[in-house]
Amino acid sequence: MIWEPIILRNKNIPEIADIDVYERNGGFTALKKALKEMTPEQVTDAVKASGLKGRGGAGFPTGLKWSFLPKGVFPRYLAVNADESEPGTFKDREIMEKNPHQFIEGVILSAYAIQCAHAFIYIRGEYPGAANILEQAIAAAKQRGYLGAQILGSAYDLEITVHRGAGAYICGEETAMLESLEGKLGMPRVKPPFPAVVGLYGKPTVINNVETLTNVPPIIDKGADWYKTIGTEKSSGPKVFCVSGHVNRPGNYEAPLGSITLRDLIFGAEYAQGVRGEKNVKGILTAGASAPMLTAQHLDTKLDYEAVAAAGSILGSASIIVLDEDTDIPWATQKMSRFFMHESCGKCTPCREGTYWMFVLMERINTGKGTARDMEMLPIVANQILGRTLCPLGEFATSPVLGTLKWFKHEYEAKVSADGNRETEK
Amino acid sequence: MPKVTIDGKIIDVPAGTLIVEAAKPVGSHIPVFCYHPKMAPAGMCRMCLVQVGMPKMDPATKQPVVDENGQPVINWMPKLQTGCTTVVSEGMVVHTTTPQVAEARRSILEFLLTSHPLDCPVCDKGGECPLQDHTLHYGPGNTRFYVESKFHNDKAVPLSPLIMLDRERCIQCGRCVRFQDEIAGEPSLGLADRGRGLEVTTFDDPPFNSNFSGNTIDICPVGALTSRDFRFTARVFELNDYPSVCQQCAVGCNVYLGTRDNLIRRVTPRQNEAVNEVWLCDKGRLEHHYAHSPERVTTPMIRAESDLTPVSWYEALNFVANRIRPTLGESGKSMAGLAGDRLANEDLYLFQKLFREILGSNNLDHRFGWSQWNAGDALVKNFGAGVGTNLGELGKGVTALLLGADPQTEQPVLRLRLSKITRQGATLVVANGRATKLAQYASHKTIYRYGAEAYFVLGLVRAMIDAGLHKSDKANGATEYSAALNLTVAECAAKAEVSADTLKTIGETFAASENGIILFGREFMYAMQRDPAVEAALNALLILSGHFGRKNNGVIALYPRSNSMGALDMGMTPTDGGMPASEMLTKAKLLYVMGADPARENPAFKNPGFMIVQDLFMTATAQKADVVFPASAWAERDGTFTNTERRVQYFARALEPLGQARPDWAIIQELAQQLGAKWTYASAGDVMNEIAQRIPTYAKMTHARLQVNARRRASVQTVGGDAAEPVQMALGELIGVVSGAQWATFSETNADAKFDVKFVQPADSAQATAGVYLAVTRALLDCGALAQYSEIIQTRVPDASVEINSHDAEAWEIANGARVRITFESKPPRALELPARVDGSVPPGVVAVANNLDGTMNLPMGAQVQVTQVQVSQAIAD
Ligand SMILES: Cc1cc2nc3c(=O)[nH]c(=O)nc-3n(C[C@H](O)[C@H](O)[C@H](O)COP(=O)(O)O)c2cc1C
Ligand code: SF4
Ligand code: SF4
Ligand code: SF4
Ligand code: FES
Repeated sequence: MIWEPIILRNKNIPEIADIDVYERNGGFTALKKALKEMTPEQVTDAVKASGLKGRGGAGFPTGLKWSFLPKGVFPRYLAVNADESEPGTFKDREIMEKNPHQFIEGVILSAYAIQCAHAFIYIRGEYPGAANILEQAIAAAKQRGYLGAQILGSAYDLEITVHRGAGAYICGEETAMLESLEGKLGMPRVKPPFPAVVGLYGKPTVINNVETLTNVPPIIDKGADWYKTIGTEKSSGPKVFCVSGHVNRPGNYEAPLGSITLRDLIFGAEYAQGVRGEKNVKGILTAGASAPMLTAQHLDTKLDYEAVAAAGSILGSASIIVLDEDTDIPWATQKMSRFFMHESCGKCTPCREGTYWMFVLMERINTGKGTARDMEMLPIVANQILGRTLCPLGEFATSPVLGTLKWFKHEYEAKVSADGNRETEK
Repeated sequence: MPKVTIDGKIIDVPAGTLIVEAAKPVGSHIPVFCYHPKMAPAGMCRMCLVQVGMPKMDPATKQPVVDENGQPVINWMPKLQTGCTTVVSEGMVVHTTTPQVAEARRSILEFLLTSHPLDCPVCDKGGECPLQDHTLHYGPGNTRFYVESKFHNDKAVPLSPLIMLDRERCIQCGRCVRFQDEIAGEPSLGLADRGRGLEVTTFDDPPFNSNFSGNTIDICPVGALTSRDFRFTARVFELNDYPSVCQQCAVGCNVYLGTRDNLIRRVTPRQNEAVNEVWLCDKGRLEHHYAHSPERVTTPMIRAESDLTPVSWYEALNFVANRIRPTLGESGKSMAGLAGDRLANEDLYLFQKLFREILGSNNLDHRFGWSQWNAGDALVKNFGAGVGTNLGELGKGVTALLLGADPQTEQPVLRLRLSKITRQGATLVVANGRATKLAQYASHKTIYRYGAEAYFVLGLVRAMIDAGLHKSDKANGATEYSAALNLTVAECAAKAEVSADTLKTIGETFAASENGIILFGREFMYAMQRDPAVEAALNALLILSGHFGRKNNGVIALYPRSNSMGALDMGMTPTDGGMPASEMLTKAKLLYVMGADPARENPAFKNPGFMIVQDLFMTATAQKADVVFPASAWAERDGTFTNTERRVQYFARALEPLGQARPDWAIIQELAQQLGAKWTYASAGDVMNEIAQRIPTYAKMTHARLQVNARRRASVQTVGGDAAEPVQMALGELIGVVSGAQWATFSETNADAKFDVKFVQPADSAQATAGVYLAVTRALLDCGALAQYSEIIQTRVPDASVEINSHDAEAWEIANGARVRITFESKPPRALELPARVDGSVPPGVVAVANNLDGTMNLPMGAQVQVTQVQVSQAIAD
């Protein structure tokens, strides 16, 4: 069965980035319905009932998050996370560039639900095209009365500001994003207080991912009951899977959660169409660099939050990176270690120092200088980081190392020597 | 109050307490680096990880589930928690000594050390370094970071003339940045870059220009920030840290004088939660250099022929005694004594005793120059803030009214303490004739018209009475007063040029507040001197609001000098018809000047016939003297000062006296003995014992009592032992240390006393009517009598300028930075040429000049001035 996308509707309707086309295809009916027939609480309740979980990585129930805002405290803010910096993640980009109006409609609906008058979209600086498209979409929406003062004749006002980031992975972490939005150094805050209570400019704030909010118009339009029929009992709704690496057809593919396996996604004709050069799969990253690597033996894992967790990894933002049988795993791991070392904000000791140390060990191993002692130290250092950092980035940084050591220890062993003087192959 | 169990010990702590704080009283040590009890937790270093569990609750009964032994079942959190960010809650169980916790501490230290240079042998912090201490207690014995790529970075980055940054040693705890931000309110430091490259940097120009920068050196948990004043001059374990009191302003911050080889090498804060907490301003930290100046007078001198010539003490004392003895008993009236209010109580007490009891003269004063503006003595005596008042602790239920003061430059550490009280729930009202730093923290702030202070206060009184919030039970004549107060709030507001609503809000808030404190500064004291209605109005505000006679109620006079309060208490004022300073200079025949330099500020000053000068330096006055007595610097003897909150504080002797210099009190005693007095004080402590007997407010104020908690500092860390005090202080581990004692005011000791309220009509002539008002301000770091001996202070002294409101500047066609001439309507006429600073801290019609900078000395405060642009001829010359 081929799934008809409800998020990447551009796959079926290529011109949907045109607001007229979007309107002709049911665009903004959800907004009209919400403003005319629903109270903000009803919108929140509908999203709660739909079972929608955050698509930014943590998978937190969206409606529940909205209901955490303290009553009667204003202003409150909606900050949309469009920082999309996880390696191998490019779903939000396609949504924003190709189906921007549905996303913007989702932002307006969500802002209405939490009674916010000013929403911010924090978009990674490397997406200038998407940022321009969003600004045009916002202008168009404003022109048609979907945004600005007294939206569609209601008493509800909303402005949306697009803010371009300056190239830091950590600014995708929600509290670092708030700091950055406030013009400060992008560093995570201590939680609690949670942003729902003390967020942007000290005010109650909801942070949601682009894809998460793009789910909201169909939920409001067609109802939570309809939405719940998609996906599994615990993981409802569709999900966009970003597939990259050694596949024949990398790209974004939408499917209901739990409806397909990793094998379907990598080999299916309607998906990535197999590994390049007919090779075998060796490693699979399911959440970019941040999750422990899976292997060919996990190919039959269903793609939903629970099943991937049961296989020993996390679905996260569903950025599936496929590595073929010829991949030098320690080498690939070093790339990821470098990424985390480079992206560590430096606020907390274990991540700041530990990511550096892990990288140095990886580099020694990959350049033939490694010894058995280095291999011993790798998991030690990783475990000294685990559970002790201020934000999850430090923990993510241990995943590539610990994950690959679990399945591919022999590849490391082949690179080290007693005296640290092995000829490098490359 | 939540009940928590920490390492098996059960303790009740207030809701909101952090685990690190809750652990202190039970004696569990939780090591920290980034956490500091005076700042918001940051959770950066992860050194404070502990194991935390909560009792398992039965969802049905909402009661804790118990095991077979009746003990609550604990759900342990899967990860260790940072003790510095986790707030305790009912039933919480914390373990700080488990293997997991020990392992976490070891890991964090191992991580920190991977990028630490370990140059302890050449590091100023070595010996009092939290990183060393924690490593000894909790760290790994050696490193597993055997790889060659150790972190290297800049070793000596001059952050400012005072502070050197070693980037390699920095452990990125952010304390320095947060101090500047949260405590100093001068966010001049920041963190830049990320990951291992994260580094401290300054955005200021001139760099790191803050009055409080030195505190970052103390709280830096490693040797990353070092004092360029102290760097490499001693190892900290070679220092003797003597307890002392800063002598630079009326706050009276508690300090340690760190000496080695009879030189002060550094001044660091000594904790006193009732005075300076753990802070100092940069002036107090740096100004000690004068004590070692080669320009110090070290021998007595007498004028032989026309020159001052060194002589022995015996000769000098004899010389004076012979000159005085013939006139003794006959007419002391022609002898006068002028003493500086930086001197100790013991000196001032004996000085006035010499005059009153031996010489028979009441011609005594300490009010000249900077101190001439002291006023409000009666208010302090009657209604001084009640014993136990701690300005830094004010919170809910207290309204503090700050009038005509600028603590940022005149009582700096007090400014830090007042800055935080609104966060603690207190209401802070800031009113002055111009904008000041503290106003940015105020709940209510307002700018009144200089000269209309009486109307401003009367407006508050009227508003209080109108709202029926006044209390008459301790007032004589309350009814008559309110009838006599023939001004409406609106009329007062119009005169003071503030809104009537502001007066109403402030007046009612102050009156309705459970507790109320009024702090008045130099600018207000000046107004009091010009118009008696100001003091009368304040008197009425206090009495009718009932805010006096108990803790957190009453007035605080923000006097100019470290012992201005003590000078009043010791009786250094011309009572019973004695001459004030202004008359001494013309009417006295014999003048004894102690620790004062009237000639510096008044070029017309002459030796009235015979003059004795007792000082540290050959001051302008000393140069005109007949006899010069060399006095010891405060660090060379012990004594007491009384600070602006009436707290009497002991300072110890830290140095051997220089040359033949002697303590002031000892010199006075010798002279008295020469004149036949039978004085036998063996020490300053003896003098203090007499003060305690003879001055009722100082009863029981003996040195022994004041020395409690003012001890020499316990030496630096011992290997494997308990952390030494410097480390504990740097880490904020000392709790609640307080020393010194406040004297009780009349209204406290006489609970049934009633006080007169009398309406005094403001003198309209006193209000500035036309022309421009000159507001005199102060720069903290100046080229004053003592500051000139610190090179670092001198690099940071600002250039003099005149602040002009931007509207006035536009009207007068004066551009920012342009040279302007200000002409005073004074006698004799004076003019100054200064660059204009058009920055909006003064309202239209007011210009402000700091009177302690190059060329701006001794300005006539409140004068009417004319401001004109000066033609710049330079352009033509170029
Ligand atoms: C290091 C780090 C990077 C992250 N980057 C992103 C990101 O680029 N985009 C995103 O939506 N969420 C990111 N997140 C997750 C956010 O913190 C947050 O959970 C999410 O934006 C919430 O939205 P959602 O509930 O709609 O998923 C990141 C989290 C961490 C710890
Ligand atoms: S874990 Fe890393 S990214 Fe997160 S706060 Fe700590 S140093 Fe910054
Ligand atoms: S300089 Fe010192 S106080 Fe500042 S961040 Fe570095 S270690 Fe901390
Ligand atoms: S505030 Fe006053 S007493 Fe305190 S250090 Fe500064 S000058 Fe000295
Ligand atoms: S994280 Fe708690 S002291 Fe630094």
